[in-house]
Amino acid sequence: MPLEGTLVVLREEHREDQKLLAALRNDLATQAWGRALPPDYTEEMHVKRFESLEFSYDRTSARFIIVEKASGETAGLVSYTGEQRRLSASIGIIVARPFWGTGVAYDAQETLLRFLFDELGLREVHLWTHTGLPKAIGLAERSGFGVCIRLREAVFKFGGLFDSVVMSLLREDYYARHPELTDRMPRVEE
Amino acid sequence: MPTTPFPFVRETIALRALEPGDAPLLQRYLNHPALAGRRYLPDGVSDVAPLSLRQVEGVIEQWQKDRDAWTLAVLEAACGTVAGHVRAEWEWDPHTPSVSVVISPDHQRRGLGSAALDLALRFLFEETPAHAVSMWIASWNEEAVAFARRNGFSEAGRSPRGGVHGGRFYSQIALDLLRREWRERQVNRAT
Repeated sequence: MPLEGTLVVLREEHREDQKLLAALRNDLATQAWGRALPPDYTEEMHVKRFESLEFSYDRTSARFIIVEKASGETAGLVSYTGEQRRLSASIGIIVARPFWGTGVAYDAQETLLRFLFDELGLREVHLWTHTGLPKAIGLAERSGFGVCIRLREAVFKFGGLFDSVVMSLLREDYYARHPELTDRMPRVEE
Repeated sequence: MPTTPFPFVRETIALRALEPGDAPLLQRYLNHPALAGRRYLPDGVSDVAPLSLRQVEGVIEQWQKDRDAWTLAVLEAACGTVAGHVRAEWEWDPHTPSVSVVISPDHQRRGLGSAALDLALRFLFEETPAHAVSMWIASWNEEAVAFARRNGFSEAGRSPRGGVHGGRFYSQIALDLLRREWRERQVNRAT
């Protein structure tokens, strides 16, 4: 069953999604990395990566395709990596340009956060971005993330130096923003 | 002491490649209770639990396979024994590598850590295009945070809930040092 938000569903990746994923990686504005990747990724390369995925119950990362409910169109990708079980994970999001400003990115982020806190029982979720991407910082802030680390001049992109930024959202802050949910996870002292 | 190529030698220490035969020495200091949680080992190897000789051999093997990093043995010049290890890593981006230093409790308080860090920084700033070097230290490891600050690093922030230690969450403190700051320290040291 896909994860469902208000505007989007997050579903598993299909072979047919690889064309869109290659296109997103080849757009310098959406490849969402702190260092540029050459915009020469092909659909075939993505298909190979997709076909090499192996079954496992021991997962520490996942990728979901964002589907806009109203149109049924694929809008991008949202993921988590580096999960330390019951502790933390890092998230990432890439949304295709036609869906910028539609609320799809925020809804996909919120839908993933609910899974990470309410199902995986994480105590903290963070993300890496940089000061050259104010929209990414703003999107994270809308979900309650705050900047916790700012590594000076650690990113060179778009022809300039930017600070690398880590943004963090604590479990209790997430639940405080979502009174419709109840946090029943046992506490660990700070 | 074996000869090592520039720039891996100082008066008090030399850095050399780790050999499989170093495993027993490494096992001895890595299992020292004072180093629990601050061993800086590859992902998937416990930072706290006692390590077998086989596990330590596996760690050395893993380090030897690194393409965009090196982990070298820190030899104390006075006795020629392995006193710890130092790692420089630029896998994500040579623009922003990271460093870590581990010194056996039996060899601490002799300036070996600072000398090893100095060599690692000199390598990164003089032999690679590094612009900003980072260190990542658990918040409970105040001694290491002070060590990083003494060596020119500034705190860049804290990532909360980096893990659990002593029954409590701790943060991962990030510290950074820019090339121009390192250069300035070199100039100040020389004058």
